[in-house]
Amino acid sequence: MTTAANATTIAHLADAPAEDRLASAVALVARQFPDRTAIVANAGGDSRRVIDYATLAAAITKLEAELAGARPVGIVARAKRVESLVVIAAACGREHVPVAFLAEDARDLVGELRDWLPLDDSLTLPPTAAAGPRREFETVPPQVVVATSGTSGPPKLVDHSWDSLLAAARLAEQWHGRGWLLVYDATRWAGLQVWLQALLTAGRIVVPASRDPDLVAKACLDEDVSILPATPTLLRRLITSGDRAAVSTMKLDRITLGGEAADAQLLDQAKALFPNAKITHVYATTELGEVFRVTDGSAGFPAEWIGKQLPGGARLSMRRDGELLVQLSRDTAEVATGDLVERRGKRFEFTGRRSDVIVVGGAKVFPKRVEEILRGVPGIAEARVYGLPSAITGELVAAEIVVHEPLPAGTTPDQVRSAALAICRERLEPHAVPRLLDFVKKLATTAAGKIPRR
Amino acid sequence: MTPLDAIAAAIRTVLHDTGRDAAAIAPEMLLAADLGLDSLDLAQTIVLLERSLGVDPFRAAPAVAPRPAIRTVSDLVSIYSAAIDSPRSHTP
Repeated sequence: MTTAANATTIAHLADAPAEDRLASAVALVARQFPDRTAIVANAGGDSRRVIDYATLAAAITKLEAELAGARPVGIVARAKRVESLVVIAAACGREHVPVAFLAEDARDLVGELRDWLPLDDSLTLPPTAAAGPRREFETVPPQVVVATSGTSGPPKLVDHSWDSLLAAARLAEQWHGRGWLLVYDATRWAGLQVWLQALLTAGRIVVPASRDPDLVAKACLDEDVSILPATPTLLRRLITSGDRAAVSTMKLDRITLGGEAADAQLLDQAKALFPNAKITHVYATTELGEVFRVTDGSAGFPAEWIGKQLPGGARLSMRRDGELLVQLSRDTAEVATGDLVERRGKRFEFTGRRSDVIVVGGAKVFPKRVEEILRGVPGIAEARVYGLPSAITGELVAAEIVVHEPLPAGTTPDQVRSAALAICRERLEPHAVPRLLDFVKKLATTAAGKIPRR
Repeated sequence: MTPLDAIAAAIRTVLHDTGRDAAAIAPEMLLAADLGLDSLDLAQTIVLLERSLGVDPFRAAPAVAPRPAIRTVSDLVSIYSAAIDSPRSHTP
């Protein structure tokens, strides 16, 4: 599939107003390659669905006309299908209608968006739309409202401009026409970034039917996915729990990790399994957008970045307690990220989220550190460490572990458990050793693909 | 399982998990002096008992109520026996 014909045109997209870019990009590809696949939904599953660029472009034009007539104050995207979310975003952008993407756990926040109209997969405005309040002025640029993931607190709504939403998108030719795996929730910041990037560059969004590692591997193979954006938790599950033969046939040339810190062990495993892939980890938050990306394959970031202006313009600093502070540009305030970092040699590595810290009898425990130790125990594939409320000590360290299936011959789960506790006792202070260690078939993950901490 | 059996089993697990020998456990034994249990060990015992007996009398008790002294295994037995008899204290 060649994209050469429109490569220069795509590069010129950056000159268009940000809110027009998605609709323009889709229309551009639809004109030149109408049959090209834009989205594969339920990939690897029984009800696989393919949406081409022409279909997508036609739906956008239709919704644009409806929005132009009704002039709603805003649209709340309630659609479940990725293609509907794309159509809503593109049409709202083009028509300068503010749009909100509310993930499942943020639906309660809809009250903050009074008078905004809901739009579901039917992509039809409610009949009452014409009678509702209308936008009178076009003085402010239309915003895009996205809910935070709520990993470390209740979800909240964050306003973005189309410029900030698209700030990290890469339009250079090397990104054109690629297959992108979308394992993130398409309504969240990380998911939006993936599908926007894919469609701005004439690419293919591949949404697997589930997050089951074997199915994800199959979907990547069948649909020719070459770029895998994922949280470390999702990548780890793919590597440790997926069928080794299937996973190693995935032809990835890019792995972009985000949402959680990537540890050295995972980075090494990924390098070994996908030697041709460039592995990047991105530091971004829903509030700040992308702050920096690390491409050298090591955990954390170079120590000299603290106190220096980064290529993207952001400036990093550190509070005395180790919390990472970010100043996006000279004229913006410094923001406390809630992420704790610690100097290890020539790097700063992430020790965890401030809110994830478990306090046992007044002493702090970083769950990420305990998880890393557990994952190093022979027989253990995945681990989740969390704080359990205790009337005696405030909290208690608890862990869930997933063992490799099958375990090496002659090894019992009981032996793995004893070995895990012995290694933890050796390497951790007594209060940090898990007091509850449960075997589970698979770890719970949040909708954002992260490890839940409570 | 009687409360005493459950408590003895929980304490044995705690001792085993922390790399200590689990000796015979008798009601009159002192939790700290005889069995060597510290506050972390006790917290773990309570979590394990919530699983086996379905109650956590320490969480169910109003915060203002004075906590009864827990010095011996049989102190634990009476607290759990009372909690099991009071249906309201069962954790949902």
